[in-house]
Amino acid sequence: MRITQRAVTQTALQGLNRNLADLGKLQQQLTSGKVVSKPSDSPSGVNRAMQVRQDQAAAVQHARNISDAQGWMDFTDTTLQSMVTQVNRVRDLTVQASNSGVLSDSGKVAISTEVAALRESLLGLANQSVDGRPLFGGITSGATAYDATGVYNGVGGAYGVPVVGVARRIADAEDVRIDVTGPEAFGDPSGTDLFALVGKIATDVAAAPEALGDDLAALDVALERLLTAVSSIGARAARVEIAAQTNTDLQLSLSKQLALVEDVDLPKTIMQLQFQQTGYQAALQATAQVIQPSLVDFLR
Amino acid sequence: MSGFSSLNTATTALWAAQRGMDVTGQNIANVNTDGYSRQRVDLQAMGGTAVPAIHSVSNGSDGGVAVEGVRRVRDAFLEARGHLETANTARLTAESAALGQVEENFREPGRSGIQSMLTDVWSAFSDLTTNPLKLAPRSQVIERLDTLAAGLHTTRAALDQQWDQTRDGLAVLAADVSTAAVSIADLNNSIRLATLSGLPVNELADRRDSLVSRLAEAVGATAVPRADGVVDVTIGGTTLVSGTHAIGVRLAGSDNPDGVGTDAPRLVTDPGGTTLRAGGTAGGQITALTSIVPGYRTQLDALARSLAGSLNAAHTAGFDATGAPGGPLFDDGSGTDPVDLSAVTAANLTLRVTDPARVAAAGISPAATGGTPSADARNADALFRLSLDPAGTDALYRKLVVSLGVESSVATRNLEVQSVLSAQVDAARESVSGVNLDEEMTNMMAFQHAYNAAARMITTIDEALDTLISRTGLVGR
Repeated sequence: MRITQRAVTQTALQGLNRNLADLGKLQQQLTSGKVVSKPSDSPSGVNRAMQVRQDQAAAVQHARNISDAQGWMDFTDTTLQSMVTQVNRVRDLTVQASNSGVLSDSGKVAISTEVAALRESLLGLANQSVDGRPLFGGITSGATAYDATGVYNGVGGAYGVPVVGVARRIADAEDVRIDVTGPEAFGDPSGTDLFALVGKIATDVAAAPEALGDDLAALDVALERLLTAVSSIGARAARVEIAAQTNTDLQLSLSKQLALVEDVDLPKTIMQLQFQQTGYQAALQATAQVIQPSLVDFLR
Repeated sequence: MSGFSSLNTATTALWAAQRGMDVTGQNIANVNTDGYSRQRVDLQAMGGTAVPAIHSVSNGSDGGVAVEGVRRVRDAFLEARGHLETANTARLTAESAALGQVEENFREPGRSGIQSMLTDVWSAFSDLTTNPLKLAPRSQVIERLDTLAAGLHTTRAALDQQWDQTRDGLAVLAADVSTAAVSIADLNNSIRLATLSGLPVNELADRRDSLVSRLAEAVGATAVPRADGVVDVTIGGTTLVSGTHAIGVRLAGSDNPDGVGTDAPRLVTDPGGTTLRAGGTAGGQITALTSIVPGYRTQLDALARSLAGSLNAAHTAGFDATGAPGGPLFDDGSGTDPVDLSAVTAANLTLRVTDPARVAAAGISPAATGGTPSADARNADALFRLSLDPAGTDALYRKLVVSLGVESSVATRNLEVQSVLSAQVDAARESVSGVNLDEEMTNMMAFQHAYNAAARMITTIDEALDTLISRTGLVGR
């Protein structure tokens, strides 16, 4: 094949351009830290990266939901525990009052007053709220679960309205109910719920001591119901705890996956850059030597 | 045979050598000229009688050398092949560039693309789940939905702009092609006249061939040689230049991407209006105008429709903060009720709900909860769960981006292969027609020596004649 100076120049130029383009690509990868910067770099990689990114965002969101759920449930648990303590105190007082023989009238009045005060305290606890939402009010948009007289004004579980749980999504496929409604924990408000019962005990201590025996049995049922609510919340909190652990693991694994797809393998890329540089320099050297001479230099 | 005829012989040798050096000089001068084909002097020995006869004899040494002509060294087959490959390369370059620009318009993967805006929307819905009574998460939902709609508008507008720019570029290219066609016809005319009068036409032919190459690159034109050194130029079977006559080319078809389906942009002859099957850059740009850009535009519109459809359906299933059933979230900007989904595009997607209180977070009707709006957030969760739908908007968008990536990377690879092919053909053409300085230097020396020798021949004959004239016939003086 006949070779001309122009052909040599063009070939050399093409080779140099290609070398420089490769160098530029590696340089861009190293400076941006990303292997994939546009869809055509690696269509399947981009697909994976987009999916992982979305999963990551969802995992972060779930983590937020989980911490919110944990806060709500911790608070519910604490509140229910204090209520159990106070109901136990009511029971003690009721037992004390049922021994009518040893109690003076002033003693009965004192017990009645204390039980009435405990009822107020229990009501106060039942109206605890997180961020403006009452813990035991179900899906009410109001600020309290029970009004001052002890009437349930939450939504769900009473007056023919079914229980609609307040739920948090803790994973893509899992949501967990975080609340206990008043009727579930304290009894049906249309019958005699915990507050009505404690109120009745306060009156019965002074007015009808003979009814206290039945009251005590009813109080035991109420206490049982309260303890069931506590254990139910505890079980669900454990579920959320596990979800939190899984979520942390998932976030880690997703970051790793994203890095695998998108991020530059530094040692490998730097080595490649070195090779490429050496190649480029060799190409420059060779070009400089080949292009220079022609017969002109040797003819006088 | 006489001394004087030997002088003639030497003179023709001087002329031939001089012509040889002229041509060598021309070659060296054009060593770097684009489209220049090296030239060679065709020499022919003179002498001998054409019709031998008894009284007209030749002793064979009478004569000299004649310059038969100066020939352009080129391979017509390689030229045609070169035109074809140049056109293919130009077409693939235009297509690959168009796809590259579409990729830029989508800004994926990254934090400014539609994917990240979608993710933000889903997060906002999930945040609303935890706090459906507060105004802040409700406003956040509205804001992020609005950002998403704006993101779709931006991408769609960028695609439209790309379409407009490509069309403008094609119109300019059509004007260039018309001008070049006229120039080729003019040069054809000059070449024909010069050929008829026996004048050299090499340089004119080079200029014309370089114009033909430009047309090959621009519209995939091919050249057909005719008598008297002229060429005809055709584009996809339609003659653009016939001998000394040329017709123009203009851009026809819709000037709006929406009209591509019915009135696709195309190159037509002017006058005439025959559609040209254009290749080269024009072919690539026409592909971009009729299929690449409109294709992704349609897919983006489908994405907007899917988004509006799924979000509207989920949103209308819920109840807002006032207890009223949720209305459609998105419409086509016309405000019609019910929303005409088929009219929704990425360009007119409009957020209809602007009041944060009207975001339907609750999944349970007030009637079922005693008449007052509840703090339920099941519907917000249902809206979030749209992101998990394997056939949902996210999946649709990912599919779009992946198919774009595949198409673009295939185009890039094809272009790489084609470039190598084109470079090989160019090298082959260059190897036939290019100027090699070493060769020219050698030729120059050869002609120089021939000239020197011919000059010495004249001196020798001169001396011989001098001897004859001055030294003979002096006996007895």
